[in-house]
Amino acid sequence: MGFKRSPQTFSAKVNAVTIGTGEKAVTIGGENVFPLYSFDAPIENKPKIGVQISDRGYNNAVAGIAEYYKGAENFVDMAKKAALMPGADFLVLSFESANPDAENTSVEECAALAKEIAEAVDMPIVVEGCKNKEKDAKLFDKIAAALEGKNSLFLSAQEENYKEIAASAGLAYKHKVGAESAVDINLAKQLNVLINQMGVAGENIVMNLGSAAAGYGFEYVASTMDRVRSAALSQNDTMLQMPVITPVSDEAWSVKESIVSQEEFPQWGSMEQRGVSMEISTAAACLAAGSNAVILRHPESIATISKLISAMCDKEGN
Amino acid sequence: MGLFDRVFAGADDMLAKAEQDLSAAIDELGIDAPMVMPDTGYFLACIYAYTGRKVAKLSDLKEAFDDVKALCTREQKTEDIFKNGIATAIAAEIIEAVKYAKSPNPYEDSIYHGHFSDAEVRELGVPLVTQEIPGFVVIIGAAKSDDEAFELIKGYQSRGIFVFLIGDIIDQAQRKNISMGFAVRVVPTGKDIWSVGHIISLVVRAAMIFGAVQPGDWDAVNEYTFKRIFAFVNAFAPVDDITVACGGGAIAMGFPVITNDENNMWRVPKSLIIQPDTSDFIETSLEARDIKIKVTNIDIPVAFSNAFEGEIIRKKDTHVDIDGSRLDCFELVRTKQAHEIEDHSIILEGPDIDEIEPGSKMCAGFIVEVAGKNMQSDFEPVFERRFHNFVNCAEGVMHTGQRDLIRIRVSLSAFEAGFRLKHIGEILYAKVKSEYESVIDKCQVRIYTDPAKCKELRAEANEVYDARDARLMALTDESVDQFYTCILCQSFSPSHVCIVTPERLGLCGAVSWLDAKATFELDPNGPSQIVTKNSLIDERLGAYEDVNEAVSKYSHGALEKVTLYSIMEDPMTSCGCFECICGIEPFSNGVVIVNREHTGMTPLGMTFSEMASMTGGGVQTPGFMGHGKHFIASKKFMRAEGGPARIVWMPKALKEIVHDKLNATAKDLYGIDDFCSMIGDETVTEDAEALLEHLGTVGHPVLEMEPLL
Repeated sequence: MGFKRSPQTFSAKVNAVTIGTGEKAVTIGGENVFPLYSFDAPIENKPKIGVQISDRGYNNAVAGIAEYYKGAENFVDMAKKAALMPGADFLVLSFESANPDAENTSVEECAALAKEIAEAVDMPIVVEGCKNKEKDAKLFDKIAAALEGKNSLFLSAQEENYKEIAASAGLAYKHKVGAESAVDINLAKQLNVLINQMGVAGENIVMNLGSAAAGYGFEYVASTMDRVRSAALSQNDTMLQMPVITPVSDEAWSVKESIVSQEEFPQWGSMEQRGVSMEISTAAACLAAGSNAVILRHPESIATISKLISAMCDKEGN
Repeated sequence: MGLFDRVFAGADDMLAKAEQDLSAAIDELGIDAPMVMPDTGYFLACIYAYTGRKVAKLSDLKEAFDDVKALCTREQKTEDIFKNGIATAIAAEIIEAVKYAKSPNPYEDSIYHGHFSDAEVRELGVPLVTQEIPGFVVIIGAAKSDDEAFELIKGYQSRGIFVFLIGDIIDQAQRKNISMGFAVRVVPTGKDIWSVGHIISLVVRAAMIFGAVQPGDWDAVNEYTFKRIFAFVNAFAPVDDITVACGGGAIAMGFPVITNDENNMWRVPKSLIIQPDTSDFIETSLEARDIKIKVTNIDIPVAFSNAFEGEIIRKKDTHVDIDGSRLDCFELVRTKQAHEIEDHSIILEGPDIDEIEPGSKMCAGFIVEVAGKNMQSDFEPVFERRFHNFVNCAEGVMHTGQRDLIRIRVSLSAFEAGFRLKHIGEILYAKVKSEYESVIDKCQVRIYTDPAKCKELRAEANEVYDARDARLMALTDESVDQFYTCILCQSFSPSHVCIVTPERLGLCGAVSWLDAKATFELDPNGPSQIVTKNSLIDERLGAYEDVNEAVSKYSHGALEKVTLYSIMEDPMTSCGCFECICGIEPFSNGVVIVNREHTGMTPLGMTFSEMASMTGGGVQTPGFMGHGKHFIASKKFMRAEGGPARIVWMPKALKEIVHDKLNATAKDLYGIDDFCSMIGDETVTEDAEALLEHLGTVGHPVLEMEPLL
């Protein structure tokens, strides 16, 4: 008797969440199978890729990134170029300069820039803050107002500032809210519950479960994502059924492998190639563990991961 | 005239005015003239929210007016007050809207604000939803004096309450040079009572924006405003019928009305409150609307940070030594009724520390009185135990001990910086209030330094401590209705779940049933959740359907069942942070318990670390179990296998810790005196065979018990 494969599908599924408007809008989530298990059932919406740009520019970035944005005189120019990046599905605007320890750019300035970009590109927009929770709360409030109607995603609301972000981005301006927790299923669930109690429907929440570069404790990430997906699908836990977005680039481009120069470690080879490899391997691992979207930076990584996703999810002949 | 009649008369007055203004506008502009409020996507928001009607022209407004008229039923039921009240509010909106039909900005040249834009609704809505602004007040009429108006407005401002003014109080505020405007959160809304229509418009838009309330869903609007918008009204005497009718609308939306008008007015609990003393308006209002004011800073002259927690104050640097080992000192948390407490009051009875010789000792008693709807006296010791951390965080202040064995030292430099006893009160107030805001509404601190008074109160405090201890002793698994989960350490041990019961504390030793209960009340979505105990499976094992369900749910399916009282059958799992490990000792049919601090060998041939590697990680290993030290003396300790009589060996230090309680338990359960002396320890032997010999010599009860395996 031949091997008979029984597909493992679930009656529960991950929420499908749409970001952006119009033709370019992207939908993540919606699957009722484990990550990339396209052999069990079609993946409702293929994982998506965000291209991240920083308002501090990429002049000092590795050649492949600097080259791509060459000639861009400001953040808006960069965004226009990023929107054309092959393989990218959405744009991720990182307002790093707003951090009080950096340039402390005013929230009004950031909001004006966000608005200008939203008018210049038609890609869905994901907004990243400056990693200062207090400032992010104010920043997202203003940007959410500036992007009203754009159905953007705000990354992220955390335990300390979820109230402001849920009320403003989520309720007042009807955007999607990113819920960020630090690699812990219970904290992730608790934050989803809290944001939900503020009045934001579960269908309007996307989780950032936290990440690590591959090889830097990624086992924790993988096991957390595993457990979250398992609870969502096999236990029908509605407070864990939000799709997962993972900012990969911030981690991948800050570990030793990506920043130590070739002069210092000649035997390691090209620094840029190492960084790209970190970004690709981390992103691939996240997708395998359960991310519905990854945020990347390098054009080569984006092209590669895009190819990987097609190969994993597209039916033959597609 | 009764309350009903006043509301009805007021509604009639408002509607008559609305009808008159509306027909005048129609005569002037034509029935098809546009009727658009500026900067809003919600039409005439009150009409839209309550009836679903989208007004765009004066003709629409006329139809809407007929809807409003139909609301004015006269059955003399509470519902009629609500309906007439809302009708009055909508009529107010109509009166104001007509002004906007005639001119795009009718209040351009006045101090009055008039209509609120959607942007303003969102700007106010976000901090209201996050409770950064704890609530808002609508003040109507004229205070008795300009000064009183000033005090009231400033009082609300200092508490972060957003203020809307209607009528003569605006002139009073102007005369007192109070700066006004949306940005400073004091808004002169309008001169006439109908300007209240703008405020209701703002409120219902907040419900539609932030609460996703569907236009036309009357009940949903009122439910949202009641549950989520913390507003209330202060109406100064004399209150006319129209204002009473508006009040009916406010009450329908869940906003209490507080007035000093005693003529022809009726008290309605929580809704219509007569407070003749206007200086108490703020307190009365906040209490009526259940508004808690957040504590944001601690007003003391020295730094306050965790960095100072471990600071030691030497004798030579000490200004005052409050020494509970020599003098009558104590600290105590007491639950009071809300009206017995004036929030943030710090009362010192007796001399302060600037009236003593530097370097001397003095007595002091601290009573923190708290009140809150969700406060339970069981939380008192939980809060009290934190005083130590709180007070220690002040620079130049050292705190040790608890109850009536405290010691507080204030350094010379802290004293010179201006630190006095009331500042300890400030610390306790601020920390208790902010850390436990979900259960504490009001808090005040009493400090006593008079020796006679301290002696007397210390005796009273001891009665409280004794009563608490008795309560703890009386708490059994059978006497409570629910247990709690604790999943605090799931970040390390993903599938472990502690079930905390009165007789089985968390295995880390830090979470008692009362702690878990408090954790749940304080953080309802946190690590401790209620586990019911409705379906018992096996009493001997402590097996419950409810417990199994909870374990399965909170371990995300990793575990299916645990028992509470057995080490052999589905024992409770362990994370890795257990205080002790208990493992069976096959020669004697007993168990060996070893605590984390013990580094030596045990008769099992394994050290603590070796046993820990078999026990942790959230897996069930029958025969091994992690637990807290205080579980050892519990009558539920492996009850299924015969209880603490199974204990054959413990390190000496651990034995000393549990000595008294374990002896008492063994006496109770088995009638054995000095059971601890029968238990082996490292001074007796670390060898299994020698242990068995010892047990025979002392006549240990385990030898009579059934085999464990």
